[in-house]
Amino acid sequence: MLVGLLMVAGGVGAGAFGALLGLGGGILIVPLLTLGFGLDLREAVGVSLVSVIMTSSAAAGVYLERHVANMRLGMTLELFTAIGALVGGSIAFLLDERLLSFLFAALLGYVAFTMARPRTTPVADEGPAADVEDPELRLPATPPTTLDRLSGQGYRVRHLGRGIVGATFAGVVSSLLGIGGGIIKVPLMNLSMGVPLRVATATSNMMIGITASASAVIYVIRGGIDPYAAGPTAIGVFLGATVGSRLAHRVDVRLLRMLFVVVLVYTAIQMLLRAIG
Amino acid sequence: MSTISPRAYAAERTIGRLLIGITYVSVGLLAIGFVLMIANGISPLDPGPPLDVAALGAQLVALDPAGYLWLGLLAVIAAPIVRVLVASVAYARDADWTMVAISVAILAVIAIGVGIAVAATV
Repeated sequence: MLVGLLMVAGGVGAGAFGALLGLGGGILIVPLLTLGFGLDLREAVGVSLVSVIMTSSAAAGVYLERHVANMRLGMTLELFTAIGALVGGSIAFLLDERLLSFLFAALLGYVAFTMARPRTTPVADEGPAADVEDPELRLPATPPTTLDRLSGQGYRVRHLGRGIVGATFAGVVSSLLGIGGGIIKVPLMNLSMGVPLRVATATSNMMIGITASASAVIYVIRGGIDPYAAGPTAIGVFLGATVGSRLAHRVDVRLLRMLFVVVLVYTAIQMLLRAIG
Repeated sequence: MSTISPRAYAAERTIGRLLIGITYVSVGLLAIGFVLMIANGISPLDPGPPLDVAALGAQLVALDPAGYLWLGLLAVIAAPIVRVLVASVAYARDADWTMVAISVAILAVIAIGVGIAVAATV
C-alpha cells in the first residue's frame, strides 16, 4: 500500500511541477519510475505515455472549448507526429536500454540548459489580433492556399515543410522517451511557423494526445505497459497537473525553475551513470 | 487566413467536452482499480497481467483491479483517437475533404502501428 501511495505522490509531484513550468510531466515520470522505483526503462516510458495522454486530453479539451487551439494546423502536423511515433514506437523495442538511458540523459541536459539560460521574448505573440493592417493577413481574393487554410485569425502560418520535418522528429522522440514532445513542437510552431505562443502551446497540447496514443497502442500490444504501475502514476499526474495549473498564477516560478534545473541536472547525471552501467 | 465555420466552431466545443468527459471517466476507472489493488494487497511493483480484451468483462464483474485499470488505460489511450474520429465526421459534414483525408490518414497510421505491433508479438 505504501509503495502505491508513494507512486501516486510521485505522480502528483511530476504533474504539478510540469504544469507549473509548462512542460508536462513526461520529462519527470521516466526518471521517477526508473531511478525511484526501479522500473525497467521501457516500462517507465509506457507508463509515462499514458500519463502524458491523460494530462494532454484534459488540457486540450479546455483549449478546444475556448477555441484557442488551431485544430486544422494541429491535425495536419499530427499526421506526421503519428508517423514519427510509429517509427519510434517500433524501434524502441529494438534499442538497447542503455542507449535509451543515454538519450534520456541528453534530453534532460538539453531541457536544463534551455531553462537555465536567460529568457528572450518570443518572436510572435500574443494571440489573435483581428484588426491587424498587414496586407498578408487580409482574406485573399484568389482561392485560399493550403497555408491560408491552416492559418488562424491574426496570423499566417509559414514554413509548413519545416513544421512537417520537426513534427516527425518530435513524434520519434516522444515515443522513444515517453515525453509529450511539447519542448520541440511549441518552439517549432512559434519561432519557425509564425504561430502565436498561446496558440502554439494549445495546439501542441492537442497534438501530444495523438502522438502518445499512436505509440501507447504499440506499447500495450507488445506488453510494455504494466497496469499496476500505470494506474497509480496516471492518477497522481492528473491530480498534480490539475492542482499545478490552478496554482500557476500564484506561484513565483523563478525559484521553482532554478530548483527544477538542479533536479534535471542531478537526474541527467543519474541516467548517464545508468547508461554507462 | 482561414475562417472557421459555425458548424466547425460548434464541433470544436463538442470535441473539447468529449475529451474532458473521457478523461474524467478514465480517472474514475483508474481510481477504482487502485482502491481494489490496495484492498487486495497488490503492490504497483508486482508484475501486472497483460491486456486480455476477451476477459475484461469477467474481470470487471469479479472486481479484479486489472480489469478496471486496463479499461481506464484503454479509455485514456482512446480519447485522442475518438477526437480524430469525431473531427473527421465534422469535417465531412462541412465538405472539407482535405481535412477528412488527413483525419483518415492519421487513423490509418495508428492502424498500421497496431498491425506492426501485433505481427511482432506473434
